Formats: sequence, structure tokens, C-alpha cells
Amino acid sequence: MSSLVIKGLKASVKGKQILKGVDLTIGTGETVALLGPNGHGKSTLLACIMGNPNFEINGGSIEFDGQDVLSLSVDQRSKLGLFLAMQNPPEIPGVNSADFYKAALNAHREKPMNLFQFYSALQNAYKEMEIPFSMSNRNLNEGFSGGEKKRNEILQMKLLDPTISFLDEIDSGLDVDAIQLVASAINKEQEKGKGFLVISHYARLLDLLHPTRSVVMINGRIVVDGGPEIIKKIDTQGYEWIKRELGIEIEHEDQPMNKVSIGVCATREANKE
Amino acid sequence: MKDLLFVDEQINDLSFTVKEGEQARLSFANFTSARDTEIKIDVEKNASLIGALADFSKGKSRFKLTVNLLGEGSSCQWRSAVLAGGESDKVISTSLYHLAPETSGVMSNYGISMDKAKLVFTGTSEIAKGSKKAKTRQEAKIIVFDMGCMGRCTPNLNIDENDVSASHAAIVGKLNDDHLFYLLSRGLDEKSAKRLITLGYLKPIEEFFGDEGIKNRIDQTIEGDI
Repeated sequence: MSSLVIKGLKASVKGKQILKGVDLTIGTGETVALLGPNGHGKSTLLACIMGNPNFEINGGSIEFDGQDVLSLSVDQRSKLGLFLAMQNPPEIPGVNSADFYKAALNAHREKPMNLFQFYSALQNAYKEMEIPFSMSNRNLNEGFSGGEKKRNEILQMKLLDPTISFLDEIDSGLDVDAIQLVASAINKEQEKGKGFLVISHYARLLDLLHPTRSVVMINGRIVVDGGPEIIKKIDTQGYEWIKRELGIEIEHEDQPMNKVSIGVCATREANKE
Repeated sequence: MKDLLFVDEQINDLSFTVKEGEQARLSFANFTSARDTEIKIDVEKNASLIGALADFSKGKSRFKLTVNLLGEGSSCQWRSAVLAGGESDKVISTSLYHLAPETSGVMSNYGISMDKAKLVFTGTSEIAKGSKKAKTRQEAKIIVFDMGCMGRCTPNLNIDENDVSASHAAIVGKLNDDHLFYLLSRGLDEKSAKRLITLGYLKPIEEFFGDEGIKNRIDQTIEGDI
């Protein structure tokens, strides 16, 4: 039994305080749904757990089985058994998918895998995620559709076999069949007793994952920590009841318009015929 | 077809002509000490030149290439991949002169500057009066790795004809943080992640080299240097 314990976590980005004291524990064998309105810190929490350098931690702690996670580098956190499936996986030009997976897998092992072991693991993962194996020869995420990128994230999760996975809107961009596929791939890991923290705006994925708990994040804090029935309540009633029952005012994010200037670099009058 | 390959050779002053309707291939691979190179190539009617520079040498060097598209329908494709490390000081100038109608050319220079190195790409595309329907592109990209290194790109376009298409791109920047974070989050240490991104950035130059031995040497040099 392993667990990740977050206490009083505070984080900011570019001087703006996003997380204002998050308390949350996730153990193996649990699937926790992380709910909450947009802009209240759900993705930020996941990014901070993994060590994204864009966020500054200014308080609190994260421990995994007693080990201080915040003092570890990003790759050490991965080796510890944490995995983040990103909302928008970047396209990496020139980096071959299979080469990268081999490097990542070997980074998690003391002795490098032999080529045969690696290819059979890779082939199995592609087969399970129903991605054509020929895509392993393409550059990482380059030219992949939104759905292909998401399936590719779960494929990497399968390969790296983490203890606790954080899934940031893994269902966006997936069609109904693909959601089913991704959910059953996750179900298999749940049966092995792995832990999950899942952000999703749609009840469909959560229905398939059967979360054991659900937590609600508002104003940079976890304000509700309860059973899976909360998912249905939010799906049908939204977040207003939290305001009523708990007396919490939900802050709305101001989104100032960026100043945009449009410049013309060159005119091509000759082509306008 | 003319196919010239120079590996670690001293070329002070090279000039030749690609004759009408012919194709020429010209490639340079420098692995050891830096050297100055000056090349001038004339391309006649409907002839084409494909050229490449893979430069992993150390030290001070000036590389100067001038291509004159003299004949109608002539073309040039140029690509370079340069790794400047240590205290290297490299200036790569690539110039392309369109002197006839329907000529086309692309020059792409890709580089990495690290340690205390200086790397400069200057590229000029010039379209002379009368070179109607000419197409030209100058591209330069440099990734700067460390605080103490320097990278500069100055692409120039001089256009003296209306009915043409011309474009340029110049980028000098750090290694993309999001890309790096993604690779690190899957367990790669920083050194391996940087090496993988760099390989991906410089490796496409290998397509310009037919020789397997050179390709392997390029791979090994990048892995050794980063």
C-alpha cells in the first residue's frame, strides 16, 4: 500500500496565487475524481505534483511513502512511480516515438531491456491501445490527432507501469469508442491495484472508471472530499449547492483581453490577380 | 550527375558550374578542427544544385557559400546543421542570387550554440530585375543551450522584381521548456532529454549524405558532444 500525501500545498504562476493550501491523500487501489470549475487549480495541482517548472511552490508538502517529492527532479518523480497524462501533450519534432519509449523504459530500469523484450512490450501496448504499430516510427505526437495523442499518453502509462497516475482530461478529443477503449485500459490497471487521480468534465469517463472517491477543488483548495455520489450531483446540479451548503463564494476568473497588435510583414500584391 | 563530398578537407577557394540540365550534389562534413571555406557555384539553365553542410568542428571558422542561379529554371536546395560548442566562433553565410526567370531556391540553416560558443547565420536571397516567377526562401534557426553562448540569425531579402515569391524565417531561442518537461516527466534525465531533442533537430541533415559511415559519425559526434 503506497500513498501520496499533499499537505497545505500552495503554488503560484507569474505572481498569481493558484493553489492556496491543498490537502489531499491518494492511495493505491483508489480512483479519485478531481472535480471543480475551470480555472480553480485542478491542472495546476497535477502539474505541481509532477514538477512542472512553470509553477512556483510557495508552501506545503508532498510526500510519497514518506519521501519528500518536492525536493526531487521531474525524472526522479517519474522513477518513483508517478505519471502525468497531459491535457495537451506537445509535439516533439525529430524525436522518434520508439526511440523515446526505449529511453524512457530503460531510465526506469537498472539494466537496459534487450531489443526483443522491448519490441514485444511495445507491440503489446500498441495492440491494446489499438494504435497501428507503424506509428511507433513517427515523431513523438507530431501530426497526431487529438484523440491519437490521448491514446498515446495511456500507451506510455502502460509501458512505464506507474504506481499512481494523474490523468488530466484524458477523455477530451476522444470519440465514444475511444473513451471505452481508454477506460478499459485504465480498468486493467485498477484491477492491479494502482492509484488514479482523474480530472474530467464528462460523466461518461467517470462512469466507466467507477471512482472510489471524489473531491472538489474551488478557489485553490479541496473543499469537498466524499464518495462517488458527488459526481452525479455535480453533473446534474453544477456547483451552486456548494455555495449554499458550505457558504463558499466561488471566485470567477477575470480574463483580461490581451492587447494584440497586428503587423504586416510583407505584401504580396503581385499575386493578387 | 556530379557528386562531391568533402570530409574534413581544407577548401579555400572552390568554384564550379553546374552545366545546363545537369544535377549536382555538394556536401561538406567537418568533424575535426575548424577551417575557412569559400565556395562559388554557378547554375545554368534547368540545372539544379543540392548542397549540405554538417559542421561539428571546433574553433574559429568562416563558411561562405554563393550560388548564382544564372539560367532560366535553375534551382538550389541548401541545408546546414551546425553544432558550435566550447569556445567556437562560427559564421556561416549563404547567399543565393536569382538572375533568371523561374529560378527557385531554399536555404535552411539549423544550429545549436552551447558552452561559450558564438554562432552566426547570415543569409541573403537576391532576386534581380527580370527574374520573373522566381521563388526564394531563407531560413535560419538557432537553439542556445547555455547562458554564456551566443546565436544570431540575419536573413536578408533583396527583391527587384514584382512577380516573385520570397520568404524568410529567423528564430533564436532556448530549448522549448514544455518539450523538455514532457520528456523528463517520462523518466529521462535532463542530459538524455536534451540529447534526444538535439539529435532530432540536427539529424535531418543525414538525409543529404548517402554514405552510411558519415551518418554514423554524425550520430556519434552529437551524442559525444552533448
